[in-house]
Amino acid sequence: MDFSPTPEQELLKEAVAGIAGHYGHEYFQEKTRQGAKPDELWSELGAGGYLGVHLPSAYGGGGMGVAELTIVCEEVAAAGCPLLLMLVSPAICATLIARFGTASQKQRWLPPMASGEAKMAFAITEPDAGSNSHRIATTAVHEGGRWALYGTKHYISGVDEADAVIVVARTGTEEATRRARLSLFIVGTDAKGFEARKIPVEIAAPEKQFTIFLDDCTLGEDDLLGTEGEGLRQVFAGLNPERLMGAAISCGIGRYALEKASAYATHRTVWDRPIGAHQGIAHPLAVAKIELELARLMLSKAAWSYDAGLDAGEAANMAKYAAAEASLRALDQAIQTHGGNGLASEFGLADLWGTARLLRTAPVSREMILNYVAQHSLGLPKSY
Amino acid sequence: MNVAVCVKQIPDPVEPYALDSNTHSLVREGKLVLDDSDSYGVEMALQLVEANGGGEVVLLSMAPNNEMGGLRTALAMGATSAVLVSDPLLKGSDALGTAKVLAAAVRTLDPLPDIVLAATESTDGYTGTTPVQLAELLGWPSVSFAKHVEISGGTVKVERQTEAGYDDVTSPLPAVITVTAGVVEPRYPSFKGIMAARGKPVAEHTVASLGLSADEVGFLGARQEVVSVQAAEARSGGEIIVDEGDAHASIVAFLEQIKVL
Ligand SMILES: Cc1cc2nc3c(=O)[nH]c(=O)nc-3n(C[C@H](O)[C@H](O)[C@H](O)COP(=O)(O)OP(=O)(O)OC[C@H]3O[C@@H](n4cnc5c(N)ncnc54)[C@H](O)[C@@H]3O)c2cc1C
Repeated sequence: MDFSPTPEQELLKEAVAGIAGHYGHEYFQEKTRQGAKPDELWSELGAGGYLGVHLPSAYGGGGMGVAELTIVCEEVAAAGCPLLLMLVSPAICATLIARFGTASQKQRWLPPMASGEAKMAFAITEPDAGSNSHRIATTAVHEGGRWALYGTKHYISGVDEADAVIVVARTGTEEATRRARLSLFIVGTDAKGFEARKIPVEIAAPEKQFTIFLDDCTLGEDDLLGTEGEGLRQVFAGLNPERLMGAAISCGIGRYALEKASAYATHRTVWDRPIGAHQGIAHPLAVAKIELELARLMLSKAAWSYDAGLDAGEAANMAKYAAAEASLRALDQAIQTHGGNGLASEFGLADLWGTARLLRTAPVSREMILNYVAQHSLGLPKSY
Repeated sequence: MNVAVCVKQIPDPVEPYALDSNTHSLVREGKLVLDDSDSYGVEMALQLVEANGGGEVVLLSMAPNNEMGGLRTALAMGATSAVLVSDPLLKGSDALGTAKVLAAAVRTLDPLPDIVLAATESTDGYTGTTPVQLAELLGWPSVSFAKHVEISGGTVKVERQTEAGYDDVTSPLPAVITVTAGVVEPRYPSFKGIMAARGKPVAEHTVASLGLSADEVGFLGARQEVVSVQAAEARSGGEIIVDEGDAHASIVAFLEQIKVL
């Protein structure tokens, strides 16, 4: 068993940490405050080939795996710039297109997504379906050589910066189970019958959330992604990378928080010694560090399993769970370590709370992961 | 045109450094990284080659344990190939010993490079004399403290940094040039560069394969000995200038005194 990264992975870490470190959290905060996007950072990562490390080299990618993409995601977040859109555009959407797209869909989308010039959003969540994808109500009707979409999606990230959205829609119902037969569609954000409305959320991030209304949204035959009726099975192929990227962002935030906390606790002196010498400050940080490193270990294992073509479901879910919890613990303790300064904008900690907290709920909620582990890892009865 | 760059691989400056208690030399076991001061030479070499119709950038490095960590970074940035000299006999080499090894490494190149670039000094332990000794051994001219380098008509034009500004220096080729830190912005490798670095040739040499003898290099050949080491003086508190309307004058005076202005 060998836990050491390859020389290429080490160089990758170094290069991405260098690029993102050049921008840093103040840049990220400033963009968020202005309601702008971290375009310079995104473009520089794209130009260096870092947003497409996992995509096939025939389509402008780096030809490596999801393990490399998690490194990019984690390093960028560890520099104080958690890019939630990496979860969606490169991780889930580009993976789905690379796996299930036609040659012309790949040609159209993968090179610009790898270079960062094009972005895609992903829409599965609905007001009335929630964690239960079988209840998806958005419907696609096939008529006269075209598709028409009807329905509503909500909490869809980044629609304002996306060129297109991959929409999961119902194209039929299974007779026996009454479950939805789902299909995937690539919907241009400029398509007729497509409308997006911003949902105000308390997350200090440049990415915004949207409700999408699809009303007789007209698509061509070739906007179907993959096989009709196979949508759910196909989506599952993109969900593991998405979970891994969620875990990677959490791990990055955790590292960022602990680094700041350790530096502060080493220098801040309130009585006769630095506060880090008090075990009341040191021990919780040590616990946070242990939990964070355990989460990172599971993240590497999950990414490695995925790239090796093994079933990565259990490890990906566990990594996602552990990383979200570890980053919240680390961030909370970093804020506590900073005393009143922990809540000041200048110290760049409290503003990350919304993002860290969101990753306990999305892209898959903590409870759905516990359901999975209870049922699949422990063999307990299905509860729903 | 072809440019060779001397690159030192050093213990990661982020980690605390240790000295060997017997020899007082820096402990260089474990992972080594590209010395930041050499990343400017690599960048300048890449720019020179790009600006002069292409060619090769070859790295020259002497390092313990066949260490390649720092070479990989420079290869990923775009260097063409590397010469790595590694041999237990090299332990304890002083500046002149290192210059002999680097000169022998330059002579393995066919064709010889038009320019050898080096940093003015390295970060981990330095005398700032290796590059000029290298030039002397090669019998080439050397120009130190370059902040800008341009090739024109078979000669090299260098803006050589001085306390007062810079001198314009022209030198025939081939030449050894030392590059001041910070004068170019070293590029980050692209992911393609990182993946390509894996397949780039690294010629590995020992003292014997370079035709050097064991007593010219390492502790045996060293003419320089570290007799004792002392802890550096702790940083003092600094001077606080209270602004009563005239602080700018005190600051200007201070900056003039340390020759920043
Ligand atoms: C900022 C943000 C960005 C998002 N981005 C996207 C996006 O880009 N695309 C997209 O499609 N979606 C996105 N989402 C949606 C997100 O994936 C969902 O909110 C999440 O999966 C939970 O679904 P829900 O909101 O419908 O909650 P519900 O399914 O209504 O669940 C409510 C609560 O009940 C729990 N629960 C539900 N079922 C069970 C059960 N069987 N057992 C135990 N507990 C259960 C849940 O864990 C949760 O705590 C985003 C959400 C947020 C907040």
